[in-house]
Amino acid sequence: MKNWWFLRGVRKGILTEKTPKDVAEWSTRIEGTGAVNCPTKAIENGKWIAERCIFCRRCYPNYKPNLDYKISIVKGTQKLFKKSFFVYPIDSGSCGGCNMELKLISSPQYDMTRFRIFFTNTPRHADAIVVMGTLTEQMKEVIKEAYDAMPEPKLVVLLGTCAISGGIIGEAIPLEATVLIPGCPPNPYTILDALIKVKGGEK
Amino acid sequence: MKYYRWSDRGEGRKIGKIGNYCLYERVITEESCEETNVSPKVERYGTFKFVYGPSAGGLLESVKFDITTDGERIFDINSVPYKIRKIKVTGLSWEDALLRIERINAPFSASHAIAFLLAVEDAMNIEPDYQTQLRRIALLELERIRNHLFVIARLTETASLSVPTYHLLYLTEKINRLIGKLCGHRYFFGVNYINRVDCNFEKLFEILDIVKEFRAIFEGLLESRIFIDRLQGNGILRDKDSIGPAARAAGLDYDARLELNILPYKEIGFKIVKAEDADAFGRFLVRGYEIIESSKKLIELTDLIKDGNYTSTKGYEATSHEGEGLARVESPSGDLAYYVKVKEGKVASAQLLSPSSVNIKSFMKSVKGTIFTDFQFNWESFGIWISEIGVNLE
Repeated sequence: MKNWWFLRGVRKGILTEKTPKDVAEWSTRIEGTGAVNCPTKAIENGKWIAERCIFCRRCYPNYKPNLDYKISIVKGTQKLFKKSFFVYPIDSGSCGGCNMELKLISSPQYDMTRFRIFFTNTPRHADAIVVMGTLTEQMKEVIKEAYDAMPEPKLVVLLGTCAISGGIIGEAIPLEATVLIPGCPPNPYTILDALIKVKGGEK
Repeated sequence: MKYYRWSDRGEGRKIGKIGNYCLYERVITEESCEETNVSPKVERYGTFKFVYGPSAGGLLESVKFDITTDGERIFDINSVPYKIRKIKVTGLSWEDALLRIERINAPFSASHAIAFLLAVEDAMNIEPDYQTQLRRIALLELERIRNHLFVIARLTETASLSVPTYHLLYLTEKINRLIGKLCGHRYFFGVNYINRVDCNFEKLFEILDIVKEFRAIFEGLLESRIFIDRLQGNGILRDKDSIGPAARAAGLDYDARLELNILPYKEIGFKIVKAEDADAFGRFLVRGYEIIESSKKLIELTDLIKDGNYTSTKGYEATSHEGEGLARVESPSGDLAYYVKVKEGKVASAQLLSPSSVNIKSFMKSVKGTIFTDFQFNWESFGIWISEIGVNLE
């Protein structure tokens, strides 16, 4: 009886959440006032620059997180992907945090497939390439090859502060991106929100 | 150095290479740290090289495998980490170095940060704070449970068991949220300092619900022949150079938690989980039972940890601003150590022994002779993170 996984799954009920719960505060928008010594210059002239922030708390208590997880920057939408959006993750030089958080948008709490977002195992089937981590020498060519192998139209998503600005570790990914998802690592809700926006909505 | 001493020759079990040195159970030597038990390369008629990676659907990170095969059996294998990061910590204050150290490998961030801080405290002759040490144990055990849940989810995913996979991912997310609630960050970034852990452990007891749900899945998996058959006899490794769950799965009681008195594990009572099979199933068993064991320790810690104020700022007193320190902790995948030299209050050099750098060698030893369809199960059973292998600390 224990191995009737289907029944076990049904018995567990629906675990997917309609509204965000328990968002870790140090992955959300930061606001405050005053001069601080930010190691990545994510706070300049009192303005918080999400793309540079590694959420290290050096600015605390002058600046505090406000629990707004919608911190991604989406420069355009591609409505062609509204009914099916396949993404191909590629790791340039991450610490593993972005990899974990991206994987977790498939967990039942988020269930990315309800928004018709899927992972694909090959760039040949991908609508978007999700690049994580800082730029590393050996991965330059791999990223280029993966990008070239994708069919048109195609999108680039930079996931995490390392990929967007290099963070505190290294260099940014030099690709023109439609979506920037800041965070160190980004919260799964932030990732999901950005992917939904770029595909032109939930349904 | 309080926990280690220099020696001309190794004593006790060999842990692995740390920078230019060789780390043993209680000594560090200038030996070359040569590998034992390395089998010669195999050249056979009809074999060819199959390349897997560096970027492929089944791989979470960028690594390339050159596999020598005749089509089914794997005769030889070589791995090439594709994401090599140069991380500069020399000349930085410990606080600035720590920002980088905790980003070497987010899933083992607590282990990295704590081992580094213990080494810095050792180098600067800072008296350890008992409450901080207890809190550090709590972080390490939470990290262990999260990692083991994720590794088992990867194993069930490889076996195409969707219900347990998603249930385990659900629990992984739940523990990430619990960590976020306790510490404000899901990967412990920005919570570890010298003699201070900025987490509030009031809700630590919530781990019980997570582990209770895990037990039911674990029992189900232990009765699933489909799952067990994919793991049993796959990737057998009996090697005295192995570490962590891979060593314990072979009946070896290798565990930094009991070998060293750096953190007060012995005081809270602790049982090493071992298996005898030495295969992927043994490693799965060890991880499963370690989740249960770690949760018991966490519950004990709820009584011992005094009310943890999230914004506490306890100071520390360094009696020396120059010296060398070495500390080793038991990360989820085995021994993790830092050897740090401090000069004028700054990090003069830091050398890392990461568990994945040892485990990838163990994996490559165990994979020879297995068949292609075994590969992914064996790989996932080691819980290797390329991010901590492909790192050059400058």
